[in-house]
Amino acid sequence: MKSAFLFPGQGSQYVGMLNDLPHDPVVKQILEESSDLLHLPIESLHNDKALSTTKAVQQCLLIASVSTYKVFEKNGLTPSFVAGHSVGAFGAAVASGVLTFEEALKLVSLRGELMERTCDKGFGMAVVLGLDEDRLLEIVTQLFNVDEPVYVSNRNSPTQITLSGSLKGLERVLEYVKKHGAISAHLLNVSTPSHCPLFKNVSEELLVELNKLDLKRPKIPISSNVNSRLLRQADAVKEDLAKSICYPVRWHDAVNLLYETGTRLFIEMPPGDVLSKLANQAFSDVRTMAITKNDIEDCFYVMSN
Amino acid sequence: MVMTNIPKEKRSWTTRLEAKKERLESVKGLVDGVIIPTNRIVDALELLIRPGDRVVLEGNNQKQASFLSQSLVQVDPRKVHDLHMIMSSISRPEHLDIFEEGIARKIDFSYAGPQSLRIAQMIEDGKIELGDLHTYIELYGRLFIDLIPSVALVAADKADRHGNLYTGPNTEETPTLVEAAAFRDGIVIAQVNEIVDELPRVDIPSSWVDFIVVADKPYELEPLFTRDPRHITDIQILQAMMVIRGIYEKHGVKSLNHGIGFNTAAIELLLPTYAASLGLKGKICTNWVLNPHPTLIPAIESGWVESVHCFGGELGMEKYVEARRDIFFTGKDGSLRSNRTLAQLAGQYAVDLFIGSTLQMDGLGNSSTVTKGRVAGYGGAPNMGHDPGGRRHSTEAWYNMMTSDDPLARGKKLVVQVAETFQEANKPVFVESLDAISVKDQAKLAVAPVMIYGEDVTHVVTEEGIAYLYKSDSISERREMIASVAGVTPIGMESNPKTVERLRQQGLIAMPEDLGIRRSDAKRSLLAAKNIDELVQWSGGLYTPPAKFRSW
Repeated sequence: MKSAFLFPGQGSQYVGMLNDLPHDPVVKQILEESSDLLHLPIESLHNDKALSTTKAVQQCLLIASVSTYKVFEKNGLTPSFVAGHSVGAFGAAVASGVLTFEEALKLVSLRGELMERTCDKGFGMAVVLGLDEDRLLEIVTQLFNVDEPVYVSNRNSPTQITLSGSLKGLERVLEYVKKHGAISAHLLNVSTPSHCPLFKNVSEELLVELNKLDLKRPKIPISSNVNSRLLRQADAVKEDLAKSICYPVRWHDAVNLLYETGTRLFIEMPPGDVLSKLANQAFSDVRTMAITKNDIEDCFYVMSN
Repeated sequence: MVMTNIPKEKRSWTTRLEAKKERLESVKGLVDGVIIPTNRIVDALELLIRPGDRVVLEGNNQKQASFLSQSLVQVDPRKVHDLHMIMSSISRPEHLDIFEEGIARKIDFSYAGPQSLRIAQMIEDGKIELGDLHTYIELYGRLFIDLIPSVALVAADKADRHGNLYTGPNTEETPTLVEAAAFRDGIVIAQVNEIVDELPRVDIPSSWVDFIVVADKPYELEPLFTRDPRHITDIQILQAMMVIRGIYEKHGVKSLNHGIGFNTAAIELLLPTYAASLGLKGKICTNWVLNPHPTLIPAIESGWVESVHCFGGELGMEKYVEARRDIFFTGKDGSLRSNRTLAQLAGQYAVDLFIGSTLQMDGLGNSSTVTKGRVAGYGGAPNMGHDPGGRRHSTEAWYNMMTSDDPLARGKKLVVQVAETFQEANKPVFVESLDAISVKDQAKLAVAPVMIYGEDVTHVVTEEGIAYLYKSDSISERREMIASVAGVTPIGMESNPKTVERLRQQGLIAMPEDLGIRRSDAKRSLLAAKNIDELVQWSGGLYTPPAKFRSW
């Protein structure tokens, strides 16, 4: 049975999350390495205050997912494919051997800083349930206003789609979709309008940094964010990592591609179980596990059988 | 007259045979008679298949030559490349892996539902050269005209030492694929689950087969036609009642095909209950071209069904079919004989009616099941879902479609499209323009992938009512009829109560009330079986559902 490891993005973080990682010397080592690289005690990364910043959230997500991945790797268990949602793609790239952990930590720190710097208050994201991509695109185009721009962003499932842009614009769209077929529509607790053209400069600056690195060829194919293809070349991974922040994440297609390629076991790295739930909803005959919910030993057992 | 242009050198008329002999010779050292050892299959394929060959790989929506497809993906692309694959269904990951590995280059196929995103991406990225999309019959036909295979890789249940094959209940399209290669000096390789001394019966004689190989595990088989009655909704029951009264009874439909939807499963399960209460037994639904649907069991047990000819088998129905030999086509050994080619032909020419569900329909009744960004192909629905111009025999239902008194007037096949006005996510089924048009552009297809053309549709059934499209030749009137059963979709909004009333008076549309159906009567309690367990009970324990359908 083919398997894929999924690396979560922003939204899955919670206070104290780094205390809940598997008890393993490899995890301890990554935590210490992170602390050294960031010149910070780990506790100051995942407390309430720190997690209100995009930068710390992205750092925590990378540390949690990669350290857990290393435990699998140490036990000789590697998946057939990897995929990461938004910032999760950096963790996936580490797992695939394209980036080192240190390179990835620097990149996500920069990414977080740039995102915080680019938009002032008044921007964010929302999620709409119950309308499909076409309908939502139609509505957003119809209500578009240059001063309060809103874009359709992440396709998490055929009917769970996010919007990114100005808060005022988002509120206007939310009000409209609630009256026109959406089952639910609300603002997300995110202060950055990720995955839309407003972050073009972040993408460009990330690319400059990525170009300085010697990226390795993926050892494990990566299902990508921007065009949901299986990436097998370093350059393609670089492009996806840089571009993703100003393009929608086509998550549903990325997972659907893994399914069509034969993946029937999805294991979600910590924190959270958002991605395994989405996989479960989309495909009735897959098995999903999340380290946050399942014992890691159980995941070892399922993978080795 | 004097022949002046006599060639000097004598032309060979047996080049194909000589080439075949040469290939057969090349594997002499590794085969044992007609048997390729399981662990040498990749070596054998590297010798027997040559670059640029046309290769038929058996994979349809049920049976898969999975051992051979998994072996083909392991051949060395330096030895075997640029293959032109011909497949009725692209269903397994390795079916497309062979393109990514550089082993194959071009594809002609019918159906790609389980790989529809990946193939769309590969077409867009230029990683696969698309021949064309076909219906089953078209693709089988082209195997004998301009897609004649050099090699056929197929699956059978059992073989004997001579290479005779038993394909049993899942004979499906194997004989057709083998015939196209075998009688044109192509090479036929069959994977089998086992080699036995004596076969239950011979479905394909050894003289059509070059090699057999015992697969490492039995071929893949999907229980595609099993519908758990638990998931049938009240709306589907209402639609089933309308179809029974407003179409089957009204036109005297005796021979038919059903799709795999829950809509048609509901009809099958209403025959012994609702339809029986209308006194229709023996008057409708007697002769079928249909897979052995478990949901047909109650109708068979209640004496509704005279005959069923099958495209393929269905997992778990083997013993039931054997025990109902009067109904199904069976061999001397007692097991089902299916044949997809003949069943498709029968479904095209010999039945009164085809009924299927659709995901999208435009104002003129053109319908499609495509989704943007996906290339799923057709399968067999368009073969059966059209009015075949070559039909000359008349039946009551066919004759009943005649609307003119022209001396040359003829009847029509009934083509029924069933749909609820909205899909999930508030997506209207009735739309101004089909997504098929954008798929055409994205996948660079020659024509938009329309499943059933409006001109062939005789009836549209929604939860609102039935539109009797066959009664009108006027495009504007047909559009009005569709709009009046299209609910509050964009197309439906064109309609108004006055038009609806007029069309009802003219008998061009019918609401449930007009058919004597009370909406409140459409309840699950009408189903002859409400779950899989009750189907097993109806079958007297002969039906043994696959594990995933068992709740006990």
